[in-house]
Amino acid sequence: GEVESSALSPHIVHSEGGQMDPETMETKTLTDYFSKLQMGSVTSKQ
Amino acid sequence: MDTFGSLVSIDEDLSYHVHYRMEASCLELALEGERLCKMGDYPAGVSFFEAAIQVGTEDLQVLSAIYSQLGNAYFHLHDYAKALEFHHHDLTLTRTIGDQLGEAKASGNLANTLKVLGRFDEAVVCCQRHLDIAMNMFDKVGQARALYNFGNVYHAKGKSICWSGAEPGEFPEDVMTALRKAAEYYQGNLSIVKELGDRAAQGRTYGNLGNTHYLLGNFRNAVVSHEQRLQIAKEFGDRSAERRAYCNLGNAYIFLGEFDVAADNYKRTLQLARQLKDRAVEAQACYSLGNTYTLLQDYERAIDYHLKHLIIAQDLNDRIGEGRACWSLGNAHTALGNHDQAMHFAEKHLEISKETGDRSGELTARM
Repeated sequence: GEVESSALSPHIVHSEGGQMDPETMETKTLTDYFSKLQMGSVTSKQ
Repeated sequence: MDTFGSLVSIDEDLSYHVHYRMEASCLELALEGERLCKMGDYPAGVSFFEAAIQVGTEDLQVLSAIYSQLGNAYFHLHDYAKALEFHHHDLTLTRTIGDQLGEAKASGNLANTLKVLGRFDEAVVCCQRHLDIAMNMFDKVGQARALYNFGNVYHAKGKSICWSGAEPGEFPEDVMTALRKAAEYYQGNLSIVKELGDRAAQGRTYGNLGNTHYLLGNFRNAVVSHEQRLQIAKEFGDRSAERRAYCNLGNAYIFLGEFDVAADNYKRTLQLARQLKDRAVEAQACYSLGNTYTLLQDYERAIDYHLKHLIIAQDLNDRIGEGRACWSLGNAHTALGNHDQAMHFAEKHLEISKETGDRSGELTARM
């Protein structure tokens, strides 16, 4: 009835090598783009 | 003004008006797509971005932002072929207009997409381009992000060629080489994000570095990294990351032979999975707890958790999970001398293995 750890280990963790943190995708938003444009026009007026 | 002159003027006015309307309409559609994606409604966001492209714009920075966001939306929707297409359009565009920062970002997004598609060599080229541009621009944040992507690519490459039957730390040399490279890149990233004081980025890297140490068989180092990940997850109140850290800690403690500590970590995983109402993770935590109590030779508790796993697997219509639960229940009942129950679950396991085409499961069941 005794179960050895080596026989169980591939099944036991059931997580395919660990649960990963997500990828970080780079963002390009229109909101940022227009804020920069606005900042630029304000700076040039000054 | 003569007649010809006034006609030209009307024509110019009309052209200006049409152009203005087109730009305004493209922007309105794209801004709505952006708003929807920020809310997490990617399918609707995609529709608006696609419509914005149909209308068109002459502002190439706007077009780059649309391509990039469309690529990211498709990435979140797991349509990686489409994600690749749009990030590629973005890369071509940013190169054409000489936008270095934009090219770095497009390269980073392409690297992540190629990694998911298993095209690791191409992903490495994109990571390098991302890193080179960031270094040329003295952009520390960009460098750190490129190094994190590099780590993820090598980690995924190592994992993709892992031997299915082998245990962590015992993989072939090419796997170990890829995993060591991943660890080096994560360490490189950590030294920058620590300098920048970016705790969120540190958290992500510690999590993935912990998994890399685990696969390399460095279980003590894995524990140290996952403890760091856990602490940062708590600082941010990020319960999903906390849940992942507990699960990963449990796995590392199993290989360290500290089954009691592993059980404590899996219990915290279970608690958080229930709070987050994530049934699949709840099932996984029950399965891990059942196996851990089997290792502790506490078969009564093992049966309790395997039954909980079985019920959720049945609810989720997860036949493979159900088969695993039956196999584990058969083992635990055998250990307790409950031969009828053991036979019942062994037969159930055999039946499910035949149905799911699990040949190794079928052979185990026949034994």
